[in-house]
Amino acid sequence: MKTMVYPLITFVLFVVGWYAVSILFEVPPYLLPRPEAVAERIYQDFAFLCHHALVTTYESLGGFFLSIVLGIPLALLITSSSILEKAIMPWLVLSQTFPKVALAPLIIVWFGLGMGPKIVITFLVAFFPVVISSIVGLRSMEREMVELAASMRATRLQVFWKFRLPLALPSIFSGIKVSVAFSIVGAVIAEWVGASEGLGYLLLSANANLDTTLLFSVLAFLTVIGVVLYYAIEYLEALLIPWHATIRLKETTSL
Amino acid sequence: MSVDSVIELSGVTQRYGDLVALQGLDLQVNAGEFISIVGSSGCGKSTLLRLIAGLMPLSEGELRVNDKPVEGPGEDVGIAFQTSALLPWRNVEQNIALQLEIRKLPRARFEHELRRLIDLVGLKGFENHKPYELSGGMQQRVALCRALIHDPSLLLMDEPFGALDAMTREQLNLELQRIWMETGKTVVLITHSITEAVFLADRVVVLTARPGQIAEVVDVPVSRPRRFSGLSAPAFQQACDRVRSLMNAPGLD
Repeated sequence: MKTMVYPLITFVLFVVGWYAVSILFEVPPYLLPRPEAVAERIYQDFAFLCHHALVTTYESLGGFFLSIVLGIPLALLITSSSILEKAIMPWLVLSQTFPKVALAPLIIVWFGLGMGPKIVITFLVAFFPVVISSIVGLRSMEREMVELAASMRATRLQVFWKFRLPLALPSIFSGIKVSVAFSIVGAVIAEWVGASEGLGYLLLSANANLDTTLLFSVLAFLTVIGVVLYYAIEYLEALLIPWHATIRLKETTSL
Repeated sequence: MSVDSVIELSGVTQRYGDLVALQGLDLQVNAGEFISIVGSSGCGKSTLLRLIAGLMPLSEGELRVNDKPVEGPGEDVGIAFQTSALLPWRNVEQNIALQLEIRKLPRARFEHELRRLIDLVGLKGFENHKPYELSGGMQQRVALCRALIHDPSLLLMDEPFGALDAMTREQLNLELQRIWMETGKTVVLITHSITEAVFLADRVVVLTARPGQIAEVVDVPVSRPRRFSGLSAPAFQQACDRVRSLMNAPGLD
């Protein structure tokens, strides 16, 4: 639990700074509410906020899982054949330079206002890091390891399950961690384009009413969702690849 | 051709596009023999090992292992590389047993051999350690066990001790000699250390650089077991000097 001390100190300093700014510069509450006003608002509207947070969490997780379920097999396809790589890769890169957010209105027009289109938009925002890091990971098997497998007369399936996939896991996980953070961004954007519930929707309506305490409450909720999801992935990572250096070294430095 | 030759090369030539890596190699390695191959870097010695291992197709000439033309990795061959190439999520025992798993050999039949090998290279008590908990020398010992567990008659080694410190290297040289004497396997060792090559081998094959050709095969007429303290013996010195002069490195003596 000692590792919790430092982030907590940072948090306290942040709140103190927040106070200092709002008192010293006499910022009016409709621009920057005091921390206690936000805390009080969260307490009062807790059930209301939780309902909207749940909607956004569903959308984020939906798009996130879709990113993994489609992204990793896509990476497999691309790494398994150079023809497929040449056919797909340039378009994949192009799709990333294209602002995916600009597609959101179109997707709403096509699929309506329900949960489904929000998940699709979230997926579009979040899937790329999974694909790219999976490709890098699946290619990370070094020459001597390839030769070792060949010398043992390993079949393609054996090479994949016993060497290539486990060796790719550290890289895949780093992509997944980026993706989970992106997926929340994706869900909020999707709600901005057209929604009747969710934290993104709440942000817009709070903004329209100059309700800054609600705005700050929503930001606090978004932060909590992001942090919880991120650390859930980190926990899973530590369970699945305890042998990887990033996890081993973390354990030794936090002693 | 001798009846008990394990490896036979005749007119072996290897090209990469326009580059000739190896040219017109003729060599016979007898059963139970220890052969070292030396040469400056880029002379194609690693290529030669990979050809014998069946890890790359031969461009020209004839190459036979156990009296059969090499058409891919064989059943009766074990390899150790420059890096230990251990899987980081497997412990020592599981890394050695990987060879059995991939080749679909029954673990139970080799259980005794596994214990014996671990004991032989001094890894007893480390069976459950992961690679990152081991020193470089110990990692190479695991790789050596993995190359030997399926009891191949031919052991191929590509500079396996190149990255180790001098002390560990000598220790592993002695262990390799002991393992070779106990098991009677045929060993081909690629190295750039003249001392290591001469100390271990019955015959040292010296390759010239670009294209790789056999400059000479130097005999090392020293009885076994050899010791490092005996390296000053005339027979050792003569062999070392001969190899050194063939490698055209006069500054080294």
